[in-house]
Amino acid sequence: MRASVTVEKAGIPTASIVSTGFLTQGRMVAQHLGMRNIPLAEYPGVILTESKEELQKKVEDILAAHIVRALTAPVPEDEAGPPEPGFRDTVFEGTLDEVQEFFHDNLWTDGLPIIPPTLERVERFLKFTDRSPEEVIGVLLPENREATVWNIAVNGVMAGCRPEYMPILIAVIEAIADPEFRLEDAGSTPGWEPLIVLSGTIIKELDFNCGSGVMRVGRQANTSVGRFLRLYMRNVPGLRIPPGGTDKGTIAQSFHVVLAENEEAAGELGWETFGVDRGFKRGENAVTVRSVLFSSPPTYTAGDRAEEHLETLAEVIGTRGAAYWTGVSAQFAKSHPLFVMSPCVAKVIAQNGWKKKDVKEYLYRNAKVPAGLAEKFARMVGISNFSFCEAVKEGKVPKAYCESTDPNRMVPVFFGPEWIEIIVSGDPGRNQSRGYINNQMQGAPVSKKIELPKNWAKMRQG
Amino acid sequence: MGEDVVQVVWPSGKLIYNGKPLASRVPDLKGKTVCELYDHLFRGEEIFPLIRNTLGKRYPGIKFVEYEVFGNIHGPEEAKVVAAVPELLRKHGADAVIVGIGA
Repeated sequence: MRASVTVEKAGIPTASIVSTGFLTQGRMVAQHLGMRNIPLAEYPGVILTESKEELQKKVEDILAAHIVRALTAPVPEDEAGPPEPGFRDTVFEGTLDEVQEFFHDNLWTDGLPIIPPTLERVERFLKFTDRSPEEVIGVLLPENREATVWNIAVNGVMAGCRPEYMPILIAVIEAIADPEFRLEDAGSTPGWEPLIVLSGTIIKELDFNCGSGVMRVGRQANTSVGRFLRLYMRNVPGLRIPPGGTDKGTIAQSFHVVLAENEEAAGELGWETFGVDRGFKRGENAVTVRSVLFSSPPTYTAGDRAEEHLETLAEVIGTRGAAYWTGVSAQFAKSHPLFVMSPCVAKVIAQNGWKKKDVKEYLYRNAKVPAGLAEKFARMVGISNFSFCEAVKEGKVPKAYCESTDPNRMVPVFFGPEWIEIIVSGDPGRNQSRGYINNQMQGAPVSKKIELPKNWAKMRQG
Repeated sequence: MGEDVVQVVWPSGKLIYNGKPLASRVPDLKGKTVCELYDHLFRGEEIFPLIRNTLGKRYPGIKFVEYEVFGNIHGPEEAKVVAAVPELLRKHGADAVIVGIGA
């Protein structure tokens, strides 16, 4: 719709082809781009599952007429929406149960009970930042709404966060508001989910879990901050599953709890922490938010040689996991695989003298996929004529992806060692790793420093 | 004893809506130049030729400027490609544009 709006602004009428299942999303996106009444040309059905004959018949008999109507028929006037509440306005008064019902009815919850956002509770959160509640962090698509320090606090209250998490919550929203993150694509059909990675001394200070079950709900800090982000994505940018209309995740997945690194373990190995890899000083407090499209199986590796572990990680997380999305990632020229290793696995690798860069190089060199297979997977997603050689020609991926046109040639699963990220976390007593694969350019990792208020130490004491 | 009653605030944020007028529609497509913009997804390679063929039969003199001319409007170069579109449309004398494919 962004292209259609650009063209209409240039004074040329458009017909935007949209299949039936995406009409509501199309209308909402257009609305928030300032053209509620832009005409859409409906293709009735699911384009990728139609036979050639069905497709031809529908284009000739139905779609063509819709295109003509969109380009030639007068369009209805743009009507303003209903008025909305102002800053600090009370939107409802009632008992705990009544508040829950009211928020559910307005699609302002994630389906779980919320803590009622009273002024008093919100103010308690605001004490943990030096920033003005009115400060606008950004304007978030698809609903084109302002992200403010104020509504961060409101959603933090609702998610069950503690007031002292507020500096983290602000950094998280700064990350998703960064254009590099492409929040506007968070309602795409793959149904990716953001993952918050936490770095710095604040992990211990606020009791984040970085040990056993690090990715499981259960620890207040990891869980409530993870929940906050999904709740915020519903309430401000408006990414809601039905009866909302802008989240089109076909099957999708639920929120992730915060992934905190075991920085002590990483330090003992002589490895840089993830935070340092992302450009921060050791121990500096920061968040990195990135998409997760899918994760690998829990991957067990054994032995006292680094290669024994890495061979299996390359095979299970790379060749049998991430490879599924290599073609799609190549089309959009981005891929950010994340390997989470338990401390005992990382220890063996480090004791063999391997640094993180050696591990990344090994994974890049050893995870391979037949080109034709990855191309087939990409075409099924909808990139109709995808080929690695075309992607190489367009400068999206390195030449290694088109050394021949043989569909059975093996191409790298990962674009290069520099694209791979590693975190040490999880149960120190078990030899397991896991891979987290992001959704190409959507939800690319974005890091932001966590700014603590000047009186942080005093407030923590008192 | 009655339950406590609380007053609660709104969890969303100000809507930034700058409504913009749509372009005037064309009276019909006879003799018009229709440009195509494509996101390289969802069988556009099949759909656009079918549209050309169908509209070509119905509207004498209709001319199409095919999507290859404009580049991929959804991808790593999206912002650059879309920004260049208005100028390219003017250059090709576009009267109307078909944009696809959203699915």
